[in-house]
Amino acid sequence: MNKALRSPWTYALFLLPVIVLYILFFIYPMFAAFIKGFTNWNGVEAARFNGLNNFEKAITDDKFWSAVKNNAYFILFSVVVQVPAIVFFSLLISNVKKLKGLYKTAVFVPSVMSTAVIGILWSFIYEPDIGLFNLILMKLGLQPVMWLSDPNWAMFSILITNAWQWTGFYIVMVLAAILSIPREIDEAAIVDGAGSFMRATRITVPLITPIISVVIMLSIAGAMKAADIVIIMTRGGPGGATDVMSTYMIKYGITNIKYGYGNAIAVLIFVFTLILTALYQLLIARRIERVEYS
Amino acid sequence: MTMTVRSVQKSISHIILLIYVIVILYPFLFVLFSSVKSDNQAIASNPFGFPSSFHFENYYEAWVNAKISVYFLNSLYIATLCSIATIVFAAMASFAITRMRFWKLSKGMYQFILIGMLIPSNALLLPIFIMLMDAGILDTHLALIIPYTAGAIPLNVIILSAFMRSIPSELEEAAVMDGLSAKGVFAKIIFPLTIPALVTVFILNFIGNWNEFLLANFFISTDELRTLPVGMVGFRDTYNTNYAQMSAGIVYSVVPVMIIYAVLQKQIIEGLTAGSIKG
Repeated sequence: MNKALRSPWTYALFLLPVIVLYILFFIYPMFAAFIKGFTNWNGVEAARFNGLNNFEKAITDDKFWSAVKNNAYFILFSVVVQVPAIVFFSLLISNVKKLKGLYKTAVFVPSVMSTAVIGILWSFIYEPDIGLFNLILMKLGLQPVMWLSDPNWAMFSILITNAWQWTGFYIVMVLAAILSIPREIDEAAIVDGAGSFMRATRITVPLITPIISVVIMLSIAGAMKAADIVIIMTRGGPGGATDVMSTYMIKYGITNIKYGYGNAIAVLIFVFTLILTALYQLLIARRIERVEYS
Repeated sequence: MTMTVRSVQKSISHIILLIYVIVILYPFLFVLFSSVKSDNQAIASNPFGFPSSFHFENYYEAWVNAKISVYFLNSLYIATLCSIATIVFAAMASFAITRMRFWKLSKGMYQFILIGMLIPSNALLLPIFIMLMDAGILDTHLALIIPYTAGAIPLNVIILSAFMRSIPSELEEAAVMDGLSAKGVFAKIIFPLTIPALVTVFILNFIGNWNEFLLANFFISTDELRTLPVGMVGFRDTYNTNYAQMSAGIVYSVVPVMIIYAVLQKQIIEGLTAGSIKG
């Protein structure tokens, strides 16, 4: 019985394309980065093993740490500013009866747009002379700001754009979690005389902590991946002020053909991401689950 | 008394939410208005208002100068081809993993593919760049088609496997009794039953490929081969003194997505959010 579903040839044939592509584009590049990260390969001469030189160079380069710092800003901004805003707006939408669908559809719009279009659109808004922001500032009688070319403002401007693009996406996710909470719980609380603020903070938020945890996890992963928005809006400038690890890697690896050094940075991105994910899972995600069961 | 407090509360909620919606949608309106204004001067003198005269020639100029049509078609065929290729391959693999009788091996395979979800994709950019260069296909469409097809595999296998596992096994047992081969079971029974999940995964892949910027920017240097996101950025860099025309360019690239979103918003929202949670 079931001979047909035991045919090893068919099994191999069905798995073959996926396994080949997966090894070629996930497993092999990962090993290649690890091996070439320890060489001085520059694309011209044969790669020579140079031990930890690349890593030493990276950790003594201020520009590398400035890039790491910018990745940290991405994470901080999303955890400290975006996540509270996401929860707040999700609660508001879940509480209104009319227009719920409209709000959901509207806030999600930027998530389907390409980062290229959003980056272009926002560099128009940030334009010093005719951009929306400076026109508003001038109408209010304030000094215009060089949003993207002032090192003090450039990173902040990118973070705002990034938040504008992705907040709605997470709102829809959290909203779905809120709407899946059984109505009876809320109704029981109303009978007990709990006001809407009380219900939100004592019932809804505790019940959606698992999804908030997922949002934070996704924000961390997204922050470590951020690169396209930086390249589109500032190319890492002015003077490297907005470089993140990925754009720093691209600058050396692809633009300046320092393959060995670029691969070492790729390894560092990989390691940093793993450490952050593991730390988050061990220190915070676990605790959240414990609270849930207690 | 309580009713009025509640309705005031609701009104405040609506006001705050409407402000948020305006913040999200107004930039698009700003661009739409700017796209029919005569020049930078007209935008600066009346930035928020409705245009005083309509300059639709901006759209013609953008279409010609920006080669939007070329980029648009490149993006369309690459995104479609890769999305279909990934779902076909991923569906085959998911079928082998979830329905064929090699449980132990399949479990290992599934775990192996799951590792792909943990690897930060940016860390692979440079090694893949070098691999494609060695293969001599850098600066051809293959340099995007193959990595796009491969890149979506882990997530697609996870979603499709989860779906196929939920299909009752009586169906295929009956089919095997009737003399169908494994390939037949896949093509005639499991694949058709998986179509709802395939649609979700297709949308997920398509939007991802359509919007992809990093690979497209660094793996392609010939202008005629560029995809829409990279072409748009190049256009911005070349014509950044003419904001009216640039706005017309933005409208061209936003409108198709808006139309698709308007029609398929339910599937798109479900697909994208489900995809990220599973990822």
